[in-house]
Amino acid sequence: MASARTSNAKLKDDGSNLPFAFRHYTPDQLKEALRKMYLIRRFEEGAEESYTRGLIHGTMHLSIGQEASAVGISMPLAENDMITSTHRGHGHCIAKGADVAKMFAEFFGKETGYCKGRGGSMHIADVSKGNLGANGIVGGGIPIAVGAALSAKKQKNGKVVVSYFGDGANNEGAFHEALNMASVWKLPVVFVCENNGYGMSTSTARSTAVANVADRAVAYNMPGVIVDGNNLSDVAEASHNAVERARRGEGPTLVECKTYRHRGHSKSDRNRYRTKEEIEEWISNRDPIHLFEDQLKEFGFLDDTQIADLRDSVAKEIADAIEFAKDSPSPDLNNLTRDVYTD
Amino acid sequence: MNEVVRELSYSQAIQEAMAIAMEADDRVFLMGEDIGVYGGAFQVTGDLVQRFGEDRVMDTPISELGGAGVAVGAALTGMRPIFEFQFSDFAALAMEQIVNQAAKMRYMLGGAVSVPLVMRFPAGSGTGAAAQHSQSLEAWFGHVPGLKVIQPSTPYDAKGMLLAAIEDPDPVMIFEHKLLYKMKGPVPEGHYIVPIGKAAIVREGTDLTIVASAIMVHKALEAAQELAKEGINVEVVDLRTVRPMDKDTIIASVKKTSKLMCVYEGVKTLGVGAEVSAMIAESEAFDYLDAPIVRLGGAETPIPYNPDLEKATVPQVPGIIQSARDLVKGVR
Amino acid sequence: MPVEVILPKVDMDMESGQISRWYAKEGDSITKGQLLFEIETDKAAMEVDAPASGILRNVTAEEGSIVPVGQAVGWIYAEDESYDAAIAPVENEVQATVPQQQLEVVSQDVPAKPTDVASASHENDGIRATPLARRIAREAGVDLASIAGSGPKGRVQKKDVELKTCVKAAAMPKASQTQASNGDMLKTAWLREGKDKSLAPVVLLHGFGADMNSWRPMLGGGSIDNPIFAVDLPGHGGSTCSIPGELEAIAEMVEQTIAAQHSGPLILVGHSFGGAIAALISGRGNLDVQALVLIAPAGLGPEINGSFLAGFVRARTEASLTAWMKQLVEDESLLTKPFVAATLQQAENHDLREAQRLISDRFFADGTQVFDIRLTLNRLSIPVRIIFGAADRIIPASHGAGLPGEIALHMFGQIGHMPQLERREAVMRILKDVSQSVK
Repeated sequence: MASARTSNAKLKDDGSNLPFAFRHYTPDQLKEALRKMYLIRRFEEGAEESYTRGLIHGTMHLSIGQEASAVGISMPLAENDMITSTHRGHGHCIAKGADVAKMFAEFFGKETGYCKGRGGSMHIADVSKGNLGANGIVGGGIPIAVGAALSAKKQKNGKVVVSYFGDGANNEGAFHEALNMASVWKLPVVFVCENNGYGMSTSTARSTAVANVADRAVAYNMPGVIVDGNNLSDVAEASHNAVERARRGEGPTLVECKTYRHRGHSKSDRNRYRTKEEIEEWISNRDPIHLFEDQLKEFGFLDDTQIADLRDSVAKEIADAIEFAKDSPSPDLNNLTRDVYTD
Repeated sequence: MNEVVRELSYSQAIQEAMAIAMEADDRVFLMGEDIGVYGGAFQVTGDLVQRFGEDRVMDTPISELGGAGVAVGAALTGMRPIFEFQFSDFAALAMEQIVNQAAKMRYMLGGAVSVPLVMRFPAGSGTGAAAQHSQSLEAWFGHVPGLKVIQPSTPYDAKGMLLAAIEDPDPVMIFEHKLLYKMKGPVPEGHYIVPIGKAAIVREGTDLTIVASAIMVHKALEAAQELAKEGINVEVVDLRTVRPMDKDTIIASVKKTSKLMCVYEGVKTLGVGAEVSAMIAESEAFDYLDAPIVRLGGAETPIPYNPDLEKATVPQVPGIIQSARDLVKGVR
Repeated sequence: MPVEVILPKVDMDMESGQISRWYAKEGDSITKGQLLFEIETDKAAMEVDAPASGILRNVTAEEGSIVPVGQAVGWIYAEDESYDAAIAPVENEVQATVPQQQLEVVSQDVPAKPTDVASASHENDGIRATPLARRIAREAGVDLASIAGSGPKGRVQKKDVELKTCVKAAAMPKASQTQASNGDMLKTAWLREGKDKSLAPVVLLHGFGADMNSWRPMLGGGSIDNPIFAVDLPGHGGSTCSIPGELEAIAEMVEQTIAAQHSGPLILVGHSFGGAIAALISGRGNLDVQALVLIAPAGLGPEINGSFLAGFVRARTEASLTAWMKQLVEDESLLTKPFVAATLQQAENHDLREAQRLISDRFFADGTQVFDIRLTLNRLSIPVRIIFGAADRIIPASHGAGLPGEIALHMFGQIGHMPQLERREAVMRILKDVSQSVK
């Protein structure tokens, strides 16, 4: 696992020993990946700020610190490939190409939001981009992803489905049932466990019998891959291999991204189960955005000015999105029961 | 006309509906435990696997939760799965996917998706299978907006309502009483629909309305026949759909007869008949009631194994006759 | 720019929070991430970190104060940033600063008075009756307390009320047709919806011993576009059997019944005894009566066929009733079987007959009409038409004489007390004329 801030390895002139992503993707694609990571970070911060000001109803689960996992996994996906997401799903949604204005509008409960104000933070979906939705139930999206992969296989449309879930979900029955079926039927699905160390307050050490969630893959006869979830290139490489395997019809892969959430589980978390030192260590030394920025600079893809410009444009996009959400109309009470059934 | 009306059993009618739907629409496929070469726990899928192959008649592992979730995901992405549970009791294993996912998906996503999913539940007591294989849980699902819940009582309705369910854009739960599987009745060939959400007046009468569901429809009809000999004319309404409930038909019937009795196999408290009773009490039919509403439902106990105990757990014909007589004669 | 320190939302249902403790005070030097203050919510205490490094200034919320979510409680200035307390940014005054102790007093539950079971039951009439029995009794104006229930524990059922009231099961009007009137006393029905619902409705008041159905043959004699509405007078048809002592009171009862069904202009038509009521209602001026049509009205003179009244009220069989009903018309063939049968149905109802006997005794005592509508008619300024049959054997047609010149008098030769039956086409034409003049 590469966890150092910068690589000490000597670069070859032809770039052949660069990390995977820098060899495999174009400079524009890498720049776009960084932009999406900023967008996720700023989105979460904007959401947090709106929440603390009382502008947002309900709670939310922030993915600050997990940006490389969301963006890296989605890099090899085509627009019509599908994902299922989790309660900590804002990053997945943005990585899959969602419009942050419509996401904020959903947060604010507005009719212009992705779910017309009916879903909120935990149910944001953008079906047009293949995002079948975040999910408020731990493990809820995993069997659904397998079902979507079954559809893809039956329809022979070449689509791959990524199912994101957290470490907590690996102890749900749905996880085991779904992995087993996906393997038995060799379905085009990639299971992505974003292991941020804690299921709410309970650490994986206290909750999970195996050292790594990926170790569970053996039981279902599929590859289990462990990567540094804060290293974009490592994540993208693992995702690339899993997606290719799925497209070849060889079946599922379980990818475990070791990562960390900087914020609490939700807004009512008092962080009593982990130390300030631990949090500080991850923020200061293992921030996925800093790591990727440093690599881009070191390998000569971007300079400080370009990075500053990118940050400014993202800040503006987020500010505009929040304004859009604030100004949007609320749902009409007369439509309370709309879409319970298909008319 | 000398046309011979063809008779099929309830289970054959269901199998025929699935076959017709699979012939007509290649999005339709079956999932369930042992529905392939085994033919299903109650032989309802029978030899469909020989006709349609293992890709369309899929045996799943013993994974109700995962299997239900796979069905939800497939329905969400363009397929029309029919998921068979071996026993309706096993729905408890899959409630998460049915109640939290399938039922709410369309609403939560602001109408962006629909979940055209059918789940089939062999239900009810009378087979000596005891507490974990005999329940009537339709009321659980009737409580969930986003689901449709049906209980056909005849082979004719079973085929027509299942075809309606398969063509419905929303998740439909169909409860099939196990004791009805062998019952025969006229079933037309080919495709036809019996609409979801419409009750049926299966016997007209003037003195008392009995709203019954599933196998209780037949018990109510038997009771009505006996009561007619005493000059009591019972109107029997076959509820057919638990959700959305056909309020109009029931209200009109109660306004006509001024008396209501609900007969259902599920546990009496908070059951389907509780909803029918409350609905009538709230409706314009209230002012037409000339006696208290009576509910005959399942006893407040798990279904026991001993056959006599088992029978005593759910409404039977003599009890229906006695209650109806008391109600009409004004002694209760 | 100084950095705002707000009271953050830290819980789902939180609208405000109490600052239970400050870990820094005005003027302190602060490092970003340092513990700044603690919030107490219903559920838990939450610690809030400093959002920036600098000097804490302008702390607006003291320990113990309750602050709305999102409001500034202080500001962090950069070390070198100038600070002037007088012009410090204060977005909102801290509004809800309430000491905790006081809050507790306010929120202390006032022990609810135990519900007085006995007093609660006063709300109920204490009578066991089914909803259907209650409804029938209500519509018929019958007191449930006067009925013995035959059901379990004395519960009053439909059949018990039917035994008591005038309303016979067979005559029970359909709900769609009949509307319960305001006082639930008099039965009413819309006999015709009318082609043009905006037109003034024609309201029909039947004569003594009849009911609203007696108008139906007339309606077959022609058509008008107006909606048509009929009322059963007290003591008749499906209405209450309790008869007010004064004619004015009957008029008031009918008036209220009409008002409950319709507001706005209307045309009033009355026959015989109903004609007198119609005239009185017009004179009272409470309803917007645009025109009045009286057919063989009572109240224009003292004479009335007393032996008819006495015989009619006494008659209990088809034969005796038919004999008296022959007095009503010149052409006996008009007394069709259904017409007689309908009248007989009322005759067979004891309560109705008793009520009608009371009306007869009270208002037509000893074969004399004891009331007069002439004065009322003289004062009316609306179009009035009076229709008589010259051969009327119940009320002499000569009573039509001597009315003000503006009142039109239609006199049909060789016609008896029932022009609306005997010359129904002609009467309908008159009603049509009247209705068109009202437009």
